[in-house]
Amino acid sequence: MPALNSTFLGEDQDTRVVGNFAILPIKTSFRGPSYPSNADYDIIDEVLDLFRANSFFKNFEIKGPADRALIYGILFVSECLGKLKPTTSANEANKLLNTAAVEHFSIPGDAGFPLNSLYAPPRDRNEVELLRGYLMQFRQELAKRLIEKIYKDDPSKPNKYWLAFTRRHFMNKSL
Amino acid sequence: MAHLGTPAVVMDNGTGYTKLGFAGNDAPSFVFPTVIATAKGSSGGNISRKGTEDLDFYIGDEALAAANGPAYSVNYPIRHGQIENWDHMERFWENSIFKYLRCEPEDHHFLLTEPPLNPPENRENTAEIMFESFNCAGLYIAVQAVLALAASWTSNKVTDRSLTGTVIDSGDGVTHVIPVAEGYVIGSAIKSIPIAGRDITYFIQNMLRDRNEPDTSLKTAEQIKENYCYVCPDIVKEFNRFDNDPDRFQKYMADQGLHRRATVDVGYERFLAPEIFFNPEIASSDFLTPLSEVVDTVVQSSPIDVRRGLYKNIVLSGGSTMFKDFGRRLQRDIRTLADDRLAANQRATGVKSSGVDVKVISHSKQRNAVWYGGSLLSSTPEFKNYCYTKQDYDEMGPGIVRNFSLFSMV
Repeated sequence: MPALNSTFLGEDQDTRVVGNFAILPIKTSFRGPSYPSNADYDIIDEVLDLFRANSFFKNFEIKGPADRALIYGILFVSECLGKLKPTTSANEANKLLNTAAVEHFSIPGDAGFPLNSLYAPPRDRNEVELLRGYLMQFRQELAKRLIEKIYKDDPSKPNKYWLAFTRRHFMNKSL
Repeated sequence: MAHLGTPAVVMDNGTGYTKLGFAGNDAPSFVFPTVIATAKGSSGGNISRKGTEDLDFYIGDEALAAANGPAYSVNYPIRHGQIENWDHMERFWENSIFKYLRCEPEDHHFLLTEPPLNPPENRENTAEIMFESFNCAGLYIAVQAVLALAASWTSNKVTDRSLTGTVIDSGDGVTHVIPVAEGYVIGSAIKSIPIAGRDITYFIQNMLRDRNEPDTSLKTAEQIKENYCYVCPDIVKEFNRFDNDPDRFQKYMADQGLHRRATVDVGYERFLAPEIFFNPEIASSDFLTPLSEVVDTVVQSSPIDVRRGLYKNIVLSGGSTMFKDFGRRLQRDIRTLADDRLAANQRATGVKSSGVDVKVISHSKQRNAVWYGGSLLSSTPEFKNYCYTKQDYDEMGPGIVRNFSLFSMV
């Protein structure tokens, strides 16, 4: 059983794709271009589910656009965990990660984007806008649910088992 | 003759540990590391002890203790399963027999073990030492994998006592997968995997360090490995089970000596550590083949007429196979591989196969399976007939031990 692929691969025909990144619907109250998801399990849930298992793997076979959304999500979770300290409280974490989610970030095609070898750039300005908007929404929602998860038991400090994953890098990459 | 009523001595000298005991017993009487501590140099020796330097040594745990001081240095006479230093090995056996087992070698038959593909010259050397230095009554040298197969007869899942099967022997240093047909090792198909007990311990230690646990010593990691680890069917589901059931996180009290204690939390390493057998990628970057695939390749590279037997009787041996549900997971993974191949074959040829039976045997004697198998075989009345005696040796020379006839208990 190597690293796990996204279960949303099968829905690729009906999802919007920018470059080769899947714009999957997400359940969120943040504003953005994503379609609302009406399933109980969306790509964000999947990222949080697979993050711990996949973080141990260095090789990953990309089978479709949904996998690229998964990779991006997992690497973003890594980045978030890297910003937390063992003493960071839930409130501070909220502030910290919210800023991290919206502040300047690069998207596929930008010169500074670290995964350009795996991601195709958007074709025109409209697609750039769509992808940037979607990624911002994706990052905000992911940060929010990550905080819910790692502060579930104790709002004063993050779960140490999750924090231990900061030293692992999925596919040896980071955002 | 005096030795007729005495039980045979069974000695299993492995790279890591030596197991010593008498035939017919359930467990070895002594298990200690295969190390010898010899006196450092002869320069500092005082006059009155001159001529006794070669008696100044310790073996096993005593050797490790002695090596803490300045006067002794540790040696490992066995490397990769094979004896490298015969002088040290002779002295190691000397202490094993006289100091630990406390028996007269001329009154006992001896069963020694050897790794698969051991060169016959090594057998001759062994015979020379056993007969000429110790004057033992009789000697039989058995292949470890064959003894491990014999040990599996204690499992109630084994119906026929055949000596055909695949042995997975995992100790501290390496893991071997050895196919055996009718008691003979199929040398060309043996494969070994650089993942074993020590790697699991290091992996646990790494995870403890990642979390900044108060005690991250190797000893703690080893204790956690032995007492808390198990094999899970699916790691993603297992992570979620930990989330839903906090009781799965446990605490280990590490004793740091001098009455200091530290509480170490035990988390995901419980199931992730043994997982490196099935997903080596999570721990190493150069070896990536899962154990199940290696076993499958071994069976596939064996002669076609024994493959069914090899799939049907996959036997575990050694401490690193003791994780809960290890056998069950391995059986599932190998079965998936075998079934997939059969299905592909059927699609290609259109010939329906009757299917292949994959069975992994776990049993209660797994930890010291090789020794136990030796104890089982050498407690039978026929055993002494298969040994070479001192008279045989004197008559024919060391060359006789190049071949031993096989025997089974049926």
